Amino acid sequence: MRAAVIDGKAVAAELRAEVRADAQKLSELGWSPRLVSVSVGDSAAAELYVRNQQKQAESAGVQFEARSYPAETSLEQLIGILQGLNHDPRVNGIIIQRPLPDHIPVKALQKTVHPLKDVEGMHPASIGNIVYNDLALGPCTAVAAVEILKTLPLQMEGLNVTVIGHSEIVGKPIAFLMMGLGATVTVCHHMTRSVAMHSRAADAVFVAVGKPGLVTGDMIKPGAAVIDIGINRVETPDGARTVGDADFASCSDVAGWITPVPGGVGPVTVATLMKNAVLATRMQMDHYRDSYARTDV
Amino acid sequence: MTAQVIDGKAFAATVREKVAGHVARLKEENGITPGLAVVLVGEDPASQVYVRSKGKQTVEVGMNSYEHKLDADTSEADLLAVIDTLNNDPTVHGILVQLPLPKHLDEDLVINSVAPEKDVDGFHISNVGLLGTGQKSMVPCTPLGCLMMLRDHHGSLSGLDAVVIGRSNIVGKPMAQLLLGDSCTVTIAHSRTKDLPEVVKRADIVVAAVGRPEMVPGDWIKEGATVIDVGINRIDAPEKGEGKTRLVGDVHYESAAAVAGAITPVPGGVGPMTIACLLANTVTACCRANGLAEPEGLTA
Repeated sequence: MRAAVIDGKAVAAELRAEVRADAQKLSELGWSPRLVSVSVGDSAAAELYVRNQQKQAESAGVQFEARSYPAETSLEQLIGILQGLNHDPRVNGIIIQRPLPDHIPVKALQKTVHPLKDVEGMHPASIGNIVYNDLALGPCTAVAAVEILKTLPLQMEGLNVTVIGHSEIVGKPIAFLMMGLGATVTVCHHMTRSVAMHSRAADAVFVAVGKPGLVTGDMIKPGAAVIDIGINRVETPDGARTVGDADFASCSDVAGWITPVPGGVGPVTVATLMKNAVLATRMQMDHYRDSYARTDV
Repeated sequence: MTAQVIDGKAFAATVREKVAGHVARLKEENGITPGLAVVLVGEDPASQVYVRSKGKQTVEVGMNSYEHKLDADTSEADLLAVIDTLNNDPTVHGILVQLPLPKHLDEDLVINSVAPEKDVDGFHISNVGLLGTGQKSMVPCTPLGCLMMLRDHHGSLSGLDAVVIGRSNIVGKPMAQLLLGDSCTVTIAHSRTKDLPEVVKRADIVVAAVGRPEMVPGDWIKEGATVIDVGINRIDAPEKGEGKTRLVGDVHYESAAAVAGAITPVPGGVGPMTIACLLANTVTACCRANGLAEPEGLTA
C-alpha cells in the first residue's frame, strides 16, 4: 500500500477545537451559538444522526436543540415553524433533517430558512454565493471535502481536479469551490462516456455518487489524491460493512492520499456544520450591529 | 474539413419570431402584454446604444418597453426606489439595469434589489443559486443563447465533452451549469489552467469566453468539434487602412474553421442572440408571473 490514509477524525478534531474557541468568544459577547434541528416523522437512521450531531455540537461549545414533528405535519405548518425560527433571535442556525415524509418537498423548506441561519448551506442564495466565489455558508459535505484536500501539500491553483457526480449539494458545489481556488475542474456523471479518461488526468479526484467500488485503482493517476464522499452499506461474507464509492484496496495502491470510509469525509462534515453555526452567529451579530446598534448616528 | 458556420443573426431572428408569436398569443388569449423595463443610469455612450437597440427589439416583438433614464449622479436610494416601483408594477415582467453603473453605486446591491422573478439578466444571487441547484430560474442571456445554438445544432448534448474557457460570473460559470444540466461532461478552464491546448483538444464542444483576441488557435481544436466563440474584441486592422479596426473573437477563426465541425463567427454569432434571449426571458417571466405554462425552447 502506497497512499497515505487521511485521518478525517483528526481533521475534524482540529476544526472542532477552532469552533470551540470561536463559540467561547461569541458567548462572551452575548451571542452564544445555538442550533435547532427539525425532524419530521420517525426515522431511526435520522435519529442516530441527530444524536451524533448533538454530541458533536456539545463538544464544540454549540447549543443544540432537537425538535421533532409528527409525520402528518403539513408543508404550510412546517413553513410556519421555520418562519418562527427565522424570527427567533435565540436561534442562530436551522437544520432540516432528512429523510422527510413524501408530501414535504425539501427544497421548499430549504428556501424558507433565512440565508443568515442557513447552516446547511442549502438556500439558493448560499449556493449562489459559492458560484460567485463569495463563500459564506456552504453545503457542509462539499465544504468538508474541499477542506480535507486543502490539508494536503498540494497547490490548488492550476490543480487538475475531476469531480465524479454532479449532485446539487455535493458534486456541483465542490466544483465551484475548487474553481474558486484556481483549480481546473471537470465534472463527470452517469452520462459521461469515459470517466476513467477524466479521472486519470486528475491530480485530485472527488467521488460522490453512491455506488460502491465505482472508482478503481486503474482509474487513478499515480500519486493523486482520492477524496471519497460515498457512504454505502454492503453485505460481505463477514457481515454488513460501510464502504465508499472508491475501491479502497486498489485505489490506495496507486493514490498518494486517500480518505477512508468511514472516518474520512464524514466526521469533517459534522464539524463543518458546527463551523457554519459559529459563522452564522457571527454574521447575525454583525448584521444586528449594522442595523440597530450603530453609535455614530 | 470546413466548418459549418452557425449564423447567429438568422438564428436570433427565429428566436425573436417565436417570442413574437407567444406575445401575440398572450395578448389574444389572456389579454396580457409582456413588459420589459430598462434602467439606464448616466450617459455612457455604449450603454445608450445597447438600451436603444433593446428598446427597439422589445417593441418589434410586440412587448411594452419602458425606459428609465436617470442622471449619472442619481443616489443609491433614488435608484433603489425606482427598482422598487418596477418590482411592484404588475405590467412590468422583466427589469434590466444596464451595467456598468456609475462608480458611486454598489452594483451587487442594485442587482440583488431586483425581484428575482423579474431579473431577466439572471444575475440576482438567488437566480445564480437556483440555476446552481437545477431549479427554475432566470438564466443569463449570453450563455442561454449559446445553449440554444448548441441544442439546435446537436439535438441532444448528452454525454458530449464540453470545455468552457473562462470562469466569469456572467458567461463561463452559468454556461458550465447549463451544459451540465444538458448532461455534458464539463471542464471549466481558465487563466490558471495547465496544458490548456490539451484540455481543449479533448472537447466535442468548446465555448470560449475570455476576452482575449484570437487566443484559441485551430490546432487546439478537435476535428469536427463545435466551437462557440463568445469573445468580442476590437483589434487594429492596418490592412483596412490607417487607424482602422475590426472585431474578432477569442478563437482564431480561419484556422479553427478549417478543423471544427461547426463554428460561430464574430461578429454575427453569439452577439445577436443575447438580446433575443433577453426578450425570451421576458416572455418566460411574464408566463410564470401569470401562472401560465411557459413557452418551450425559450429557456434552459
